[in-house]
Amino acid sequence: MNDLHAVLWIARKDLLQESRSKAVTVATVFFSAVTLGVLAFAFGENPLLMREGAMGALWVALAFAGVISAAQSWQADLEDGALEALLAWPVPRAAVYLGKLLANWGLMTALGFVLLPLAGGLYGADIGGGAAPGGDGETAPALVVTVLLGVIAAGTLGFALIAVFYAGLTANLRARESLLPVLMFPVVVPILLAAVRASNALVGSGDLDLAWAWLRLLVGFDLVYAVVCLVLFRFVVEA
Amino acid sequence: MIDAAARLRRPPWLRIYLGITLLLFLAAATFGLVFSPRDVTQGDLIRIMYAHVSVAWIAFVAVGLTAVFGALYLWRGNRRDDVLAVASGEMGLFFASLTIIGGMTYSRPTLNTFWTWDAKLTLTAIMVALMVGYFIVRGLIDDPVRRGRVSAVVAIVAAASLPFNYLAAEWFRTLHPAKSVALDGSGVTMDSTMLAVLLFNTVVAGLIYLGFMIDRARLGHVEAALEEERSLAATRQTPVGKEVVRV
Repeated sequence: MNDLHAVLWIARKDLLQESRSKAVTVATVFFSAVTLGVLAFAFGENPLLMREGAMGALWVALAFAGVISAAQSWQADLEDGALEALLAWPVPRAAVYLGKLLANWGLMTALGFVLLPLAGGLYGADIGGGAAPGGDGETAPALVVTVLLGVIAAGTLGFALIAVFYAGLTANLRARESLLPVLMFPVVVPILLAAVRASNALVGSGDLDLAWAWLRLLVGFDLVYAVVCLVLFRFVVEA
Repeated sequence: MIDAAARLRRPPWLRIYLGITLLLFLAAATFGLVFSPRDVTQGDLIRIMYAHVSVAWIAFVAVGLTAVFGALYLWRGNRRDDVLAVASGEMGLFFASLTIIGGMTYSRPTLNTFWTWDAKLTLTAIMVALMVGYFIVRGLIDDPVRRGRVSAVVAIVAAASLPFNYLAAEWFRTLHPAKSVALDGSGVTMDSTMLAVLLFNTVVAGLIYLGFMIDRARLGHVEAALEEERSLAATRQTPVGKEVVRV
C-alpha cells in the first residue's frame, strides 16, 4: 500500500465513523445555524447592515464549527488506544494528518455549501444577484456563485489545515477544549480575512477582479500553511 | 548537586555588557529627544517613532529567532536550543507588547485614534497572541522533551505568519503610514540625521534584547539542570524490581 492509499483510507475511516455516529454533523450544523441566528440579533433591524454582514457571519459560524469538527476527529481516536494503533501504522505521520485533513475539509466544505444559502436567506443578501444593479451588470450570477463556492472551498481548506494540525497537537493535553481556539485563531486570521473579503466582493457587488485577488491570496496562505504543517506534523503527535 | 547559588550570580562580563547597554540606551534616547530634527508634518511627535520602530523591528527578530532556535531543537534535540528559544520568546513577547503600547501612544496624536483594525496593528496583536499561546502550551506539558518539541512547532507556525505581517502593508490598503525604508534598496525617504538616529536606536534595542536574552538563557540552563536532577532523584527513589515481585 502506498502513502496515497493510506491517506485515502484514513479519510475514508473518519468519514465512515462520522456517517455512523453523526456526532460532528449534528453538532456543527445546529451550532452554526444558531450562531447565524445569534449574530443576526447583533446586527439589529438594519437591513443594509445585515446584508453587508452576511458573509462575515457565515465565516464566523464556519470557524466555530470547524473547531468542533477538528477536535472531534482526534477525540474519537483517543478511545480504546485507537490513536496509538493509527500511529503505529507503518506510513508517514503526514499521511495520518492528510487523511484527517481530507475528511475534515470535506465536512467543512459541505457545511459551507449548506450555510451559504441559509446566511443569504437569513440576512437578506442576494447571493448570485450582486451582479445586477450595483455591479457592472456584465457578470453572470452563475459565475459569481461558482467563484463563491471556490472561495468557500479554499477558505475551509486553509482553516482545516490549521485546525486539524492544532487539534492533533492538543489532543492529549489538559484543557484542550479551551486551548485549541486560543492557539489556532491567531493563525487563521489571515485566512478568515481573505475569505470574508473575497466573499463580500462577490456578494456585495459581483466584483470578480477583487474577488480573484483575494482568492489568490487565500490560495497562497493555503499553500504556505500546507507546507509548514506537513513538514512539522511528525513532531506534533506523541511518539 | 549543582551549585545553584554560584550559577545564579550574574557573571562579571554580563554585568559590564548590561552597564554599557544602559549607557548606550541613554545616548540613543538623547539623540532621539534632543538632536533629531523636528518632522515637517509631525513636529516633535516624530521622536516617539525612534522608540516605536526600533522596538517593533527587534520584536520581529526575537520571534523569528524563537522559531530558529525551535527548529534547531527539532533538528539536533539539544536542550540548550530549547532554553535559548524560551529566552528569545519571552523577549519577543515583551518587545511585541511594547510595540503595541508604543504604537498606541504614537497613533493617538498623529492618527487621532488609539487603535485601528489596520493590518499591521492587527497582525502585531496576533503576534502577541501567538506568543502567549506558545507559553500556555509550555506550561501544560511536563515532559521536557515533548514540551520542547511541541512548543518549537508552535513557534515555527507563529513565525510563518510573520512574512504576511510584513507584506500586509502592501497587500491591504490601510491607514498605516507607508514604510520609509524599503529593504530592496530602492531608496530611503528620510532625513539622513533621522535615519542615523533610528538605526542607532535599533542597534541599541537589539543590544538590550541580546543582553536580557543571554541572561534569561543563563537562568534557563540552571532551570533545566535542576529539572533533570529532580527527575533523576525521583527515579532513584522508586524501588526497582517491585513489579517482578508482584508477578
